[in-house]
Amino acid sequence: MIITIDGKEISVNGEQTVLEAALAANIYIPNLCTHPALPVQAGCKLCVVEIDGRPVQACETAAHDGMCVTTKSDDISRRRNVAMELMLAGHPQDCTSCKVYLKCELQALMQYMGTVHSRLRTVQRETNSIPSVKNPLILREMERCVQCGRCVRACENLRGVGAIGYAKHGGETYIGTESNAGLAEAGCRFCGACIEVCPTGALQDEEGVLSQEIAKHEALVPCQVECPAKIDISEYLRLINEGKYSQAHAVVREKAPFPHTLGYICNHRCEDGCKRGKLNSSISIRNVKRYAVENDSDMMWLDAAMAPLGAKSGKKVAVIGSGPCGLTAALYLQKKGHDVTVHEKLPVAGGQLVTGIPEYRLPLEHVQKEIDFIKSVGVEIKTNSNIDSVTRLKEGYDAVLVAIGASQGKKLSMEGSNLEGAYAALDLLRDVRLGLPVDVGQTVNIIGGGNVAFDCARTLLRMGRKVNIICLEKGEAIPADAEEIEEGINEGVVLYDGTATVQIESENGVITGHRIADVDDTSTERMIPCDSIVFAVGQGTGLTPEFGIDINDQGHPTSDKSDHTTSVDGVFAAGDVMTGTRFVIEAIAAGREVAKEIDRYLGGDGCIDETLSPRAAKEPKIGKIDGFAEMTRVASHVHTCDEATREAGRCLQCDLRRDIGPVKLWTEYTAN
Amino acid sequence: MQTYNTDVCVIAGGPAGLAAAISAAERGAEVILLEKANTTGGAGNMGMGPLGIGSRLAKGAMADLDAEKAFRIFMDYTHWRVDARLVRAYLEKSGDTIHWLEDMGVRFDSVAKYFPSSQATWHIVKPESGKPGPRAASAMFKAMTDRAVELGVKILYETPAVSLEKSDKGYINAVLAKDSAGNDVRVECLAAIIATGGFGDNPQMIKDRIGYEWGKDLFSFRIPGVVGDGIKMAMDVGAESTDVNIEMTVNSPGLADAGISPSLWVQPKTLVLNNRCERIMNEELLENTTFAGNAVSIQNSRVAYSIVDSRVVDYYTKNGFDVVSLVHSYGLENFEQQAKQARANGFDNLYMADTVEELAAQMGLDEDAFKAAFDEYNTGCRDKEDYFYKHGKHLMALEKAPFYAVRLHPSGYGTLGGIKINYKTEVLSKENKPIEGLYAAGTDACSIFGVSYVFVLPGNTMGFALNSGRIAGESAAAYVFEEE
Repeated sequence: MIITIDGKEISVNGEQTVLEAALAANIYIPNLCTHPALPVQAGCKLCVVEIDGRPVQACETAAHDGMCVTTKSDDISRRRNVAMELMLAGHPQDCTSCKVYLKCELQALMQYMGTVHSRLRTVQRETNSIPSVKNPLILREMERCVQCGRCVRACENLRGVGAIGYAKHGGETYIGTESNAGLAEAGCRFCGACIEVCPTGALQDEEGVLSQEIAKHEALVPCQVECPAKIDISEYLRLINEGKYSQAHAVVREKAPFPHTLGYICNHRCEDGCKRGKLNSSISIRNVKRYAVENDSDMMWLDAAMAPLGAKSGKKVAVIGSGPCGLTAALYLQKKGHDVTVHEKLPVAGGQLVTGIPEYRLPLEHVQKEIDFIKSVGVEIKTNSNIDSVTRLKEGYDAVLVAIGASQGKKLSMEGSNLEGAYAALDLLRDVRLGLPVDVGQTVNIIGGGNVAFDCARTLLRMGRKVNIICLEKGEAIPADAEEIEEGINEGVVLYDGTATVQIESENGVITGHRIADVDDTSTERMIPCDSIVFAVGQGTGLTPEFGIDINDQGHPTSDKSDHTTSVDGVFAAGDVMTGTRFVIEAIAAGREVAKEIDRYLGGDGCIDETLSPRAAKEPKIGKIDGFAEMTRVASHVHTCDEATREAGRCLQCDLRRDIGPVKLWTEYTAN
Repeated sequence: MQTYNTDVCVIAGGPAGLAAAISAAERGAEVILLEKANTTGGAGNMGMGPLGIGSRLAKGAMADLDAEKAFRIFMDYTHWRVDARLVRAYLEKSGDTIHWLEDMGVRFDSVAKYFPSSQATWHIVKPESGKPGPRAASAMFKAMTDRAVELGVKILYETPAVSLEKSDKGYINAVLAKDSAGNDVRVECLAAIIATGGFGDNPQMIKDRIGYEWGKDLFSFRIPGVVGDGIKMAMDVGAESTDVNIEMTVNSPGLADAGISPSLWVQPKTLVLNNRCERIMNEELLENTTFAGNAVSIQNSRVAYSIVDSRVVDYYTKNGFDVVSLVHSYGLENFEQQAKQARANGFDNLYMADTVEELAAQMGLDEDAFKAAFDEYNTGCRDKEDYFYKHGKHLMALEKAPFYAVRLHPSGYGTLGGIKINYKTEVLSKENKPIEGLYAAGTDACSIFGVSYVFVLPGNTMGFALNSGRIAGESAAAYVFEEE
């Protein structure tokens, strides 16, 4: 059907209101209480237009054929201005203390309409001084509220929660909770929909909850912001809550081919970002992920994950190093149609996953299975293949990726460090993992305070040794994860923190003890008898100039560009070899990035996005759950389906806010 | 990556950026404007209008200030420590800029002073609803935006510029930005104009460059997003920097939000003491908020107190203020009640007590010293002989309970300066030569006030933004056509 707006004929579908029809036709009509995601309220009276000479509100008037609408006239302006002035009369005059300055629909409407505080007397609302119970996520500055009611409709109609509503006090209407209780007590699920739809600064994210440094669309979901591989965490938590473990596993796999491994050892920065952490405690994301992977009975993702992401290119790529970075890159490059060969100098593939992380932290069979999948896609892994010159290797390939990690253990250069029984930590872990004979005595002193030191300590304890850890840092400054330290000490590690090595004592080439002293007091020098020393003091790349690419003093490849290129065309480098020791998830993320770059270098489009679990439209109505805000984090590991459901169900589903979308301001309508 | 190609890329759409975009487009240049927020106007939305010298409206109001006189005032005030050519170029243009804005549909209500001893240069924007009020200037940005769009300026909202790209030959050839989804955007251009409004919302940069700690000894306005993007971008391509300053004012944080009249505390009949209970200034000068801010900023802990008694409150309630603000329209009706309510709501910048001693105790000041300062001031009032030569008509002894005080801190509208430009707004390199294709306007480049805001010519900041923006648009367009 056809209606006429300001003399312009526009065609309209039968369902639209006059406001919707006008906005769809790029004709702006000011409006405030209306929101595309919410039912119509017709409260603010800004969208008044004339139909047949009569003023009506465009938001509540259905369009019908032949209708003739006028959106601009003196009478309309007068009506709109009064409506706006009434709203402004109860709103603070000073914008400069408001954190949504320039993100405020009211401010944009003031620009569009040219209306200011001035004519009408300021209304001092008594209800502004009703003290509101604070919470860590949603900031309520209700003196900025213009009572458009969008938040009420978002909470009630869109989310089905109904934690907030209209209240009355001494003849004033205001928006609040029942009996002015805190949001948590009122059953709020802290989804943030009310903030998203608020047109003023009345409802805001508390300072520090969302990053201001990145685009808002990304910032809305802080767990994903923190994840180096940008895994769609809220999606898989929702799937786990629904018991769809295979789909959840698939979602992780879309960004990382080592879900099970990550379920064991990921350093889970997502949990640091988790907004729920501010409310009570973060979701145990890593543990529910592991539960999902271990209970994925039908591997629904397998066919899609095997499918190529591009036609055969006829190009050959060599990857040096079969750690998480190299294998991730190998997988995606293979899927992009290139023939990939991975060269691994050790007899087993997997890099630090299999030689650096002890079995008690990450069972070998799980890693093996994930590597087998990568092989099944066509990646060839050559073990016992030591590459000492990339120049020679390059001849047989179109591109080479150096992903050798930082796997060379360092020792302190001091007397005694080369004696029998003095190990570099990584060598020790590797030899134990490979089942090689390890020549350590009964009492082992480990120098260093990182996770590797604790990995060594706990490995040696399991071999029946007595272990001391000597580290420079004290207390909370110790670099290892708190969990590692606690478990290590419980298992019997003796920790000397804030302590420096003075000397290694030996007799006839045999280590007899370890002279140490407090870092801040040399008079405390003392001897601890021991027969072995393990250096867990950092790792190097082991690269030398003979390898054939430029390196810096620390042995990392250098390049003029910021991406993963090296000094040699066609040779790329990524992962720990570039960055020094980092975490597995970062190696995986780097593997993905470098795969894109290499694909583009080889003439591909560099796109490795894939959907292994088709997304259904998200259910916006999350409903009310009694005691939601107080639900505590699962104690340790997730053992049962009920625990998984419950833990995943604690998620605030921050990503639902992305579906609400911003309201288009007058600035986006060019037809005015 | 989304790539655009244009003649001129304007970075940010506040008063300076909009003026630049429009004036470049008026000269036929193709313009893309990158804006961080989802609407235009930037910090200008908080204002009420720009400075204009010699406009028709000013002449009609019998203002006798011409560009020459304004220039003399300006240069005397700044002791010629600022770029006189840039000052002249700005002031000479400012009257015509008012007409230029009127041609776009902007209406001005009046030409005003900000305070009695200032000049009438402030062109107050007239809103649709008739009577001007706070933030009246926001309607001006609607008109400017409409004109920009009409002239074909493409505005990319929520797409903040991130960096500039300089060719090997040293001229600017692209601006890199990020869109709202975080995707990279590249705008290839012949000229770029930086107009991002300083770094008022970047406490770290304020601390590093100006030495104030926001929230501790400075409570300046923080317009979200004004974090120094433009200055950083310019420095990254080798621009010379200038001294930077806070556009200093005085404020009692939270006063307006607490519903308490901010005007009362800057009236001449107040008493202003520092935290050692020493008088710091002639309160008649409080009307010039820059002078007041300067005076407070050199006190112990950078704090002072403005004190009144109920007689002063009654006087102003009955007779109106000596110094009337166009910005704040709060009255003094039920002042005692409002003050009690604000204190009950936890607003702790306001003190209220029935005796001078109690007031001092509440403020955490030495009671004896406070009482002595009071007595000295009151004696001076009775003898009509004031330490700071305050005029007799403002000498009103403070004797009637309850007594009130607010804590004053240095505040400010934002920062001033950062990028060195010449009178054509060309950005200068360390060698004092223009960086080809790069211009800057508005507060990012506003170093013409020297060490202290020239508030005696009100509307100065927005005036400089609009006029330097206009000059930048013209210069950039001329450069573009020369290149082509």
